[in-house]
Amino acid sequence: MSSSILIISGSQTTVATLKKNLAGLGLGNVEAFHHFSATFDTIYNEIPLIMIVDVFEEKETVSLLNSFKEDPLFTGVPVLAIVDDVHIPVNWEAIHADDYIRRPFIDADIAMKVQLGILRSHRIVEVNPLTRLPGNIAINRRIQNRINSQQPFALAYADLDNFKPFNDKYGFTRGDEVLKITGRLILNIVKGKCSQDSFVGHIGGDDFVFITDPPSMEDVCRDLIDAFDRIIPTFYDPADRKAGFIQSHDREGHTKTFPFLTITIGVVNATGLPFSHYGEVTEIASEMKRYAKRTPASCYSVNRRSFRTQKNTEGPWTRNT
Amino acid sequence: MADKIDLQKMRAKVEGINTLPTLPSTLRQISVMLEKPRLTMDEIARFITNDPALTTKVLKMVNSAAYGFPGRISSVSHAIMLLGLNVIRGLLLGISVFELMQKNMAGLWEHSLSCAVSARCIAQQKKMKEPEEVSICALLHDIGKAIVMLQYPAEYEQILGKAEKLGISLYDAEKKLLAATHAEVGLWLAQKWRFPPNLVEAIGFHHQPQSARQAPLETSIVHVSDILVRARGVGFAGDYFVPAVHPAAWDMLRLSDEEIRTVLIQVEDSVSSGEEN
Repeated sequence: MSSSILIISGSQTTVATLKKNLAGLGLGNVEAFHHFSATFDTIYNEIPLIMIVDVFEEKETVSLLNSFKEDPLFTGVPVLAIVDDVHIPVNWEAIHADDYIRRPFIDADIAMKVQLGILRSHRIVEVNPLTRLPGNIAINRRIQNRINSQQPFALAYADLDNFKPFNDKYGFTRGDEVLKITGRLILNIVKGKCSQDSFVGHIGGDDFVFITDPPSMEDVCRDLIDAFDRIIPTFYDPADRKAGFIQSHDREGHTKTFPFLTITIGVVNATGLPFSHYGEVTEIASEMKRYAKRTPASCYSVNRRSFRTQKNTEGPWTRNT
Repeated sequence: MADKIDLQKMRAKVEGINTLPTLPSTLRQISVMLEKPRLTMDEIARFITNDPALTTKVLKMVNSAAYGFPGRISSVSHAIMLLGLNVIRGLLLGISVFELMQKNMAGLWEHSLSCAVSARCIAQQKKMKEPEEVSICALLHDIGKAIVMLQYPAEYEQILGKAEKLGISLYDAEKKLLAATHAEVGLWLAQKWRFPPNLVEAIGFHHQPQSARQAPLETSIVHVSDILVRARGVGFAGDYFVPAVHPAAWDMLRLSDEEIRTVLIQVEDSVSSGEEN
């Protein structure tokens, strides 16, 4: 069963007008219910594309709608409220709707309102609230799309070193600032070097992922490392900046000195590799990142398994600082 | 002037400012820049750091709450990397001509640019890590003057005349006739725009470098650069006065004759290459 457009209205004429205008759009089935309570069996099994709700018809409608939309799983379902053409103020704070339409205008406007409502909900991807970069679901989907399209691509997995002691010493607010600049630097450098078909995502914490075409990737990594190492000292207090290290605690609680934050990047050049699932790519990227971590400075390492013809001094992989 | 401008009112008026005037020649260069199909971050950084008004705009933006790095970024190239080329393009598109570009302003911007060259040169000689940050401090040290010129044009003319008649410096004339000096005015805005502390101090204390707490070295470099450039007679900072170098600043820098000569040569070179354009 494909996703559908759901109508909740007790008025037969309203339902008829809606169906007449929506059936031919090719967006999905149009299903109508008289009461909100009757929909749950349907919507909990198949998340609707959009819901069109006659909000003021019954008292319980608004409270049922609100509790439905409060569940994070369903917050993203667009809700279009039908209101009567009476000029009474509506308290939208108390109704979890995303848009409204006045009853007399249904015939003229409903097709456009519904199309736009569905499109808008697709455009809003889940984003990391801190960096506003796409999160895990979008990242995995993007990697899978690249694999399926069979076009060459390179994927990088980056994280920060010494982030925990930095957070412990200066507090998470400053830690968040560092994550924000990291996201921003990656985004601008990736888009600057490879404006087409590139992607930047934020997995969470200090983990980031980015995708470019294979020729741009090493340039991006070099520029990123250079920019990161130059900007990061401004996030330290003047005395620490002068010293070049901080005093903080390790995981066991012992006081130790820690060097400045650095960035480590593991890169997979997926050219010619027989990947079928996104998990396989991210696994190699983590492996490369672990390998790069052996160097204390900011650095990146690339898998070269597909480049056997290239000179290789360090076995199958190379590490670059 | 019958009565001094009220300090509170002056501060409110100054803090209401959002942009500084750009030279008409800069404006022409912007349209050339924007037509380039491929613009690199380095190119655009070089261009922006040649204009105090553009530099202020970029730093104000990157230190604003919207981007979330308040009071951290004082280098234009870092700012550009964080804002991104699209944002910078939009910012350049939004630059408009000020109807009134006083000739004094052109002289002031020239003075500022030469101070930036001098400060960068001294910072390099003193092996400082980010010479660009120091040069930005010098580029923006006199923004207070531009603001007074803009908000109080009549009063500013009077002060200029008075300074010349009494044979005192503009700074001293401001102390006599205005509620606040250009250094204080610059400091207010630098704080309001959440500029990093080194920039705030260099702007606020370039006439009294001994007052700098967090950035004494940067402030001393700006102080000395201001005087060297005045002595060399490049640009016009509002008066023809060459004030004495503060001994503390001088001791901190300990510039050799050779180093001073190098600074002056670089200032000269940048002026002559600027004239060719």
